[in-house]
Amino acid sequence: MMSTMRILSLATLGAALLAATAQADLTDTLKKGTPDLKSIGPISFGPDGVLFVSDPQSSSLFAIDTGDKANTPATGTIKVGKIDEKVAGVLGTDAKDILINDLAVNPASGNVYLSVSRGKGPDAKPALLKLDHKGKLEAVELKDVKFSKAPLANLSDKKTEAVTCIAYVKGQVLVAGLGNENWASTLRSVPFPFTEANKPTSVEIYHGAHGKFETNAPVRTFVPFDLKGQTNILAAYTCTPLVKFGVDELKPGAKVKGTTVAELGNGNRPLDMLVYEKGGKPFLLLANNKRGVMKIKLEGVEDAKGIVAKTSVAGLPYDTIKELDGIQQLAKLSNDSAVILIRAANGELNLDTVPLP
Amino acid sequence: MLCCLLAPGCGARERPPASVTATPQPPSIRLGADEQAFEVVNLDAGQLSQFGKPGWPAERWPDVLAVRVGPEAPPMAGAWDVADGVLRFRPRFPLRPGMRYTVAYTAPGANAAPLVAEFALPKLETPPTIVEQVFPTSDLLPENHLKFYIHFSGPMSRGEAYEHLQILDGNGKPIESAFLELGEELWAPDGQRFTLFFDPGRIKHGLKPREDLGPVLEKGKRYTLVVGPGWHDAHGNTLKAGFRKTFQVGEPIEKLVDPKTWQLELPTVGGSDPLTLVLPMPHDHALLHRLVWVADEHGRKVAGKTTVTDQEKRWQFTPDKPWPAGKFTLVADTKLEDLAGNNLERQFEVDVFRPVEKEIKKDTIELPFVLQP
Repeated sequence: MMSTMRILSLATLGAALLAATAQADLTDTLKKGTPDLKSIGPISFGPDGVLFVSDPQSSSLFAIDTGDKANTPATGTIKVGKIDEKVAGVLGTDAKDILINDLAVNPASGNVYLSVSRGKGPDAKPALLKLDHKGKLEAVELKDVKFSKAPLANLSDKKTEAVTCIAYVKGQVLVAGLGNENWASTLRSVPFPFTEANKPTSVEIYHGAHGKFETNAPVRTFVPFDLKGQTNILAAYTCTPLVKFGVDELKPGAKVKGTTVAELGNGNRPLDMLVYEKGGKPFLLLANNKRGVMKIKLEGVEDAKGIVAKTSVAGLPYDTIKELDGIQQLAKLSNDSAVILIRAANGELNLDTVPLP
Repeated sequence: MLCCLLAPGCGARERPPASVTATPQPPSIRLGADEQAFEVVNLDAGQLSQFGKPGWPAERWPDVLAVRVGPEAPPMAGAWDVADGVLRFRPRFPLRPGMRYTVAYTAPGANAAPLVAEFALPKLETPPTIVEQVFPTSDLLPENHLKFYIHFSGPMSRGEAYEHLQILDGNGKPIESAFLELGEELWAPDGQRFTLFFDPGRIKHGLKPREDLGPVLEKGKRYTLVVGPGWHDAHGNTLKAGFRKTFQVGEPIEKLVDPKTWQLELPTVGGSDPLTLVLPMPHDHALLHRLVWVADEHGRKVAGKTTVTDQEKRWQFTPDKPWPAGKFTLVADTKLEDLAGNNLERQFEVDVFRPVEKEIKKDTIELPFVLQP
């Protein structure tokens, strides 16, 4: 859903790269073995080809060294028609028997990764597929790889938590989820490297809603981004607000007061989003299930006061990109392009590259 | 068991008897003994020796032996090896009942047509899946009712739940945008229980969805939850039948769950009658099972079985061993919810932003009781 590099604004990219050279490789703390994934949900890349993989069924988070690094990451477009049928073929089944849960771009190689469930029942097998710029699609072998594992929550025989989105930002993995029994959404911060001492902590995000404060609403998707030296999170909630809060506020057990910077309209489900720059100005691209893709101007978001008025759609200005209707997933491929999963009018599910609007 | 569908080049399942003649057998393709691998047999030693040599490029394997699920499908992921005179392909993922697999062996450098065989796993015969129960079982629900649990007789498929769920008003008209729809869907690990939340934005006052569309449920009106029959189970079969639950809507519940209103009915010492907790109103079925238990005087959980009946107003605990005399405690986690999502420490409707250091947080409440001989 999100790649780490997506969070870096152009203004901070240089500084971040300089800092990275001084740090150890992110794979240094990982140990060779076979990650015992029970399922696979949202995925997100960190630096150095490290992929963070959520496993909702065992309520765990994995950091896996893909070993997929290139001196010069591939550029250009990636396009695969009927991607679901091709993925299913690699997994030895048909398209009706798979779920593509997420896609992510590895900033270290430019390759696209797909989180896939092979099967739809409780015994579905987790699968990770890699797609390169030549169109080669392969199942990533998860045996004898360097990895690390962190628990997310205690489970019981019936209780689980769905993971809606994950992202690596500033030495921690943020995981948004929702329980299947209690009314309790969670945003967890899991410090990386994963160690016994680095236990996941839960953070409560309150956001203003018409003068009241709302919490426990599930975060559907979120994206980190840098602005004026501060790393922020923009989180899209299922009940329509777009909320901003600072990453530095995410302390263990903290209650964080977010700012509602936009209301995105009813009957709508935010699906995925990314932040990019165009003409020196920051934008958010947000895919929705009913309202298509919104291009939202982030200029001035740092000074947003929060929405209190009862208007149908309020806050940051946005345009609807009609030609991108049907998008299910998107990820930033380069500074000026995104890779998308899109359901075409004829029903085919295609993977395509589109210029950032 | 896999069936071999095409005769040409398709090896018989029966292995040949011990060779008594020197007549070479033609190469053929067969299923491995564990039915999870495809094997090319009767290859001559010269052919086999080329594979797997140092310098043999792994990416060439699919050109030699490929398994596909359709003419345009890419080769399946898996591993190749040569052992005991057999070239073998083992798929990464188990073969799936009902699928047809095409296996093609192409001898490197040969101009001959590939050796091709098709195999199919028969579809599994499974009993039809039904909706066994929907919780809450009461036909009177509060205006701010939060969620349903739909229990199935067998495991279900993910990815299509919301296509098959509707709330109808009293005129049978579907209410739009009634539910919280999460692409990940909220299933129990066994795939037999689905949690369906109403859109909280239409329950809480002041939130935008409610401001614009109004509440889903209104006091005094009648509604029907509909589970469509087209929902697929984990084996790809649709439900045997749909399911409907009609209910009346009453007053909203806008207060904390209050243990002072609970009544305990104590069992007798030496017997195995249940300890009974009577609640003044229905509570969350799943949470009653998970978040209420009995501890002995040392705080250890007493082993036994919990049942919830009487429209989720009656919680009962039957111990594995007869009750001894002594001091016990009924323990309830403060996260226990009523039907409207209120728990023992926080109302669903009211969220107040408070600095964490000022909050007095208690994880459980305890109701002590004594069993006397």
